[in-house]
Amino acid sequence: MSATPTAGEGGSVVEVRDLGVNAKEQKILDSITLDFAARSLTAVIGASGSGKTTFIRSLNRMVELTPGLSVQGKVFYLGQNIYDRGIDPVLVRRRIGMVFQRPTVFPMSVFENAAFGLRILHEEEDNIDPAVQEALTRAGLWGEVKDDLDRSAFSLSGGQQQRLCIARALAIRPRVLLLDEPTSALDPMASQHVEATMRRLKEEIVLILVTHNVGQAARVSDRVAFLHTGRLIEVGPTAEILERPREALTQQFITGRF
Amino acid sequence: MSPTPATGDTGDREPLPAPSNEPPAGPSPRRLGRATVGKVIAFLPALVPTAIVVAIVVTLVSSSHLHNFGWRFFEAGGGSNPYGDLVFIVGSFLTAVPALFFSMLIGLGIAIASTTYLPSFLSKILDPFVDLLAGIPSVVYGIWAFIVVAPVFGTLVNPWAVAHLSFLPGFASSNHPTSPTSLGVGVPLAIVVLTLMALPITTLLIRDALRSIPRDLWESGLALGATRWEVVRRVSLRHGSRGIWSAAFLGFGRAIGETVAVAMVIGSADRFPVNVYDSSNTMAAYMFENLDAALVNPLVGYNLAELALVLLAITLAVNILGRRLVTHIYAQEVPGL
Repeated sequence: MSATPTAGEGGSVVEVRDLGVNAKEQKILDSITLDFAARSLTAVIGASGSGKTTFIRSLNRMVELTPGLSVQGKVFYLGQNIYDRGIDPVLVRRRIGMVFQRPTVFPMSVFENAAFGLRILHEEEDNIDPAVQEALTRAGLWGEVKDDLDRSAFSLSGGQQQRLCIARALAIRPRVLLLDEPTSALDPMASQHVEATMRRLKEEIVLILVTHNVGQAARVSDRVAFLHTGRLIEVGPTAEILERPREALTQQFITGRF
Repeated sequence: MSPTPATGDTGDREPLPAPSNEPPAGPSPRRLGRATVGKVIAFLPALVPTAIVVAIVVTLVSSSHLHNFGWRFFEAGGGSNPYGDLVFIVGSFLTAVPALFFSMLIGLGIAIASTTYLPSFLSKILDPFVDLLAGIPSVVYGIWAFIVVAPVFGTLVNPWAVAHLSFLPGFASSNHPTSPTSLGVGVPLAIVVLTLMALPITTLLIRDALRSIPRDLWESGLALGATRWEVVRRVSLRHGSRGIWSAAFLGFGRAIGETVAVAMVIGSADRFPVNVYDSSNTMAAYMFENLDAALVNPLVGYNLAELALVLLAITLAVNILGRRLVTHIYAQEVPGL
């Protein structure tokens, strides 16, 4: 299989078409075309500087927050190009959530963290309690925090904080969740919890995981996309890419040669 | 230093001695003594601030003759002023508190605009002006307010307020013989001047507090579909609450202690203001204006020392309270930072 994925199968939630991102004199992403089906977890792997973080940041227009970058191509979310003129990036980000490398809990209680997005959306007070419980449950954190939701989010461990960040993103019910190396700041035990959460969530929504950890990709993903210097080298089912890659570059990366 | 080498130094270049069961010899008593003296000398500078505070408090208490006259100065007819010194305490709070409020409000506005909305090249050009504002001597603020702003209050602001707001308590014009609202000087002008003078410190500290938010925390807010304003309001302000409280306490200290500029514009009437346009006086300005009287009349001197003591007590209290509050918030809200 080449860099061109099987497009138009129907059921794709996100369709990326000829996506390119340029800095002043440098191509960071070069003409990427890739689809993401409902209820799937795609791991985007690659070395540092391969453009994988820029890639997922361009799926919810976070890339625009970095000055000096320009985006070409199209990203369709349920058939709508999110880069169309007149599309508000704020609304895009309410549908396509994101979790960062480091746990980024806000300086407030566990409950208020999880309710943050709901408050932004002016959700009715009666709906907030059940929505927070549901989000924390889906993130696999409810059992650990349900007895004291009012404590500061900083009192949680790093792994719990990261799952709270996932819960916070899930509370506004996005169809897509972008995860940018979500376990890179966590110890192995905490990483396991987050990985278990990811495995559960991929039965519900589209997960797109950026990771430099091939083992993690093997443990959680259905499909792996390998990026190298801004180009999509190869994409396919996880077992196939990790065990029998077609491209020499992929082989080199997986075996740890760069 | 003594030119003769200490005896213990000679063995330094020899090979390491064979391990022995005897406990190693400690430094000689002479070296120990020298080290202790050195430590004490090194510690002394650390005691200087404490010594200064204690010295000022003790000497002020003794010259205020608090122990002879008690707190009688604060009652009407008690001090050198027939209304009592309470006038000046009230005057100080009446000017400093609104000034703090306005300078915090404006400072928040400037800081949010500069850190959140302005393109970075513009904020790089505009931000240094806040530092310039901090460098203007207070007498310049005072003269400017007296010559330029006071007539505006006297001919435009005050007449407008009398005409349109007189239904509010305190806004009706009084015919108090010594409060011609037409001069423009008085409590409102003092508030304006103090607001401007507290503004640089509040703005700088709030700006730094807002700027201290980590990039990924800021982006997390946006990634949840919040607007920049929502992230500032719900996340940045909380994250920077320590710096913002510091801004308030330092701004208050600046406003309540300011002397010359206030003395120039408050009207120096040693009584409670009868309406919002009226003159009054503050502790700092009153002390400044009555130095010559203190030379002639020792009672005035005691009185001024006592006022100084009160002002010192207020600023120390605010300082200590602020410190406690800030560390409390710090510990609760943002550990690990």
